[in-house]
Formats: sequence, C-alpha cells, structure tokens
Amino acid sequence: MDIAEQQAGEITIVEVKGRIDSNTAKAFGERLTSLINTGRGRLVVDLKQIIYISSAGFRALLVAGRLADETKGTLALCGLSAELQRLFDLGAFTDLFTIYGSRDESIAKLT
Amino acid sequence: MKSASPRHKASLAINNTITEMQKVVDFVDQFGAAHDIPAGVTNDVNLCLDELLNNTISYGYDDPQPHSIVVNLLLTGGLLAAEVQDDGKPFDLRKAAPAAPGGTLQSRKVGGLGVHFVKALMDDVAYMRAGRHNVVRITKKLQGGTANGHS
Repeated sequence: MDIAEQQAGEITIVEVKGRIDSNTAKAFGERLTSLINTGRGRLVVDLKQIIYISSAGFRALLVAGRLADETKGTLALCGLSAELQRLFDLGAFTDLFTIYGSRDESIAKLT
Repeated sequence: MKSASPRHKASLAINNTITEMQKVVDFVDQFGAAHDIPAGVTNDVNLCLDELLNNTISYGYDDPQPHSIVVNLLLTGGLLAAEVQDDGKPFDLRKAAPAAPGGTLQSRKVGGLGVHFVKALMDDVAYMRAGRHNVVRITKKLQGGTANGHS
C-alpha cells in the first residue's frame, strides 16, 4: 500500500494505492488520525486505486471517521470501484460515510 | 488460455505474525497469474485469507511461541480452493457470531465483519478439526472466466 497527500485549499486529499488489509491498515489509520490531530481535519480519501479493503481497513476508516466527527472535521471518501462499493454494501458501511464519485466532486462539494 | 483442469496445487507455510501475511498475498497473486485466474477471484480469495489468517494470528494462540500456518491453493474443475491449516485453538468460523451492521459512525462495531465477508464472498466454507489442527477450506467458482488482467 502506498499513501500520498495533496492539498486543495483547506482540503487534504489522501490518495491510497493497493490493498488496505491486516498488514497495512495500521499505517493507513495512523496516517489519517495523524493528519486530523495536526489540524488537517478536512480529508478526502481517494480510493480509486484500492483493490480491496479488509475488515481491519474498515476498522481504521471507522476510527478516523469518529475522530473527524469529534474534532469538527470531515472525512469523505471518493473513487470507489464497483468491487469496492460491493464491500461497502456487504459491510453496511455505505451510509456511514460521505462518499463522492470523484476527487473533483469531493473538492467542489466541500469547498 | 489455460484450462482450469487438471488440478494445480501449491503450498506456502508462514509464521504466525501479521507481517508474514504479505507473503500469502504474493503467493495467491502469483498462482492466479500462472493459471489465468480472473483477478476478481484471486482478490476475493486474498481478502478472505486476510480475514482467516488475521483471526488465527490475533486470537488463535495462547503462547508466545512461533507457529507454522500452511496455506494450500488448489485449482480444479472451475473452482479455486484455499485451505488454511493451523495448530491454534479450535475455531469453527461457520459458528461464529454474525456481524451487527447498522448504527451510526460512532456506534458501529466491526466484530464479526471478517467472518461475514468470508461467508458472503466465497461459494463454500468448510471446517474440520484434524488432530491438533484447524483446517478451513474456502472455495470460489471461477465462473468460466479467464483473466482480463491481474492486480
């Protein structure tokens, strides 16, 4: 898994590539919580290049989403493939997160 | 295009640490590429192996000693089967408590989610206790497809 960040005004785009699984979820979650805790709490996680997310990865997303809520921040997701959307639906996560189609749409809606 | 038959089999042994699990991901990807298995099938199997192995490594052992976990892959008759053998505590995931979806972002728990994924994504899940070993076999149909590419 690779993580890169880009800034779009006050919004931080977190671009993730690969798999968010038991081996990578910890680093993924720590990166998100670190951004929120250091004042960059308006996050869009671009999942366009994610192959799958295991339960460990969903746990990391939940923890980061709660932290963003508690600190008046934002954690939105975008770029879900059909395969990834299937996992969100199977796990009943689709309604728990703000999900946009694309990075551009996320920035437009959150700016 | 290669046929899904006759049988193809491969085995991998890992230690019971989370970092070892990357070897399994690579093992499944390489097996899939070698036998033209659709990427969607190998990805689902990899995801489910992640859930099974994480359960075993995180909760299966009471001692700090290293343990070997064997992963077998078997391709035959249009099916990809992955078998996990470990000497951890007996655990039949078929009888595990189901996930409790719903709730809010603040209240949502993820306990049972991994087992839910395995049951939902695989076409068959089998378990047996063989002596001191758990043997879990998950099976996914290839649905007649061959690879359009591998991730």
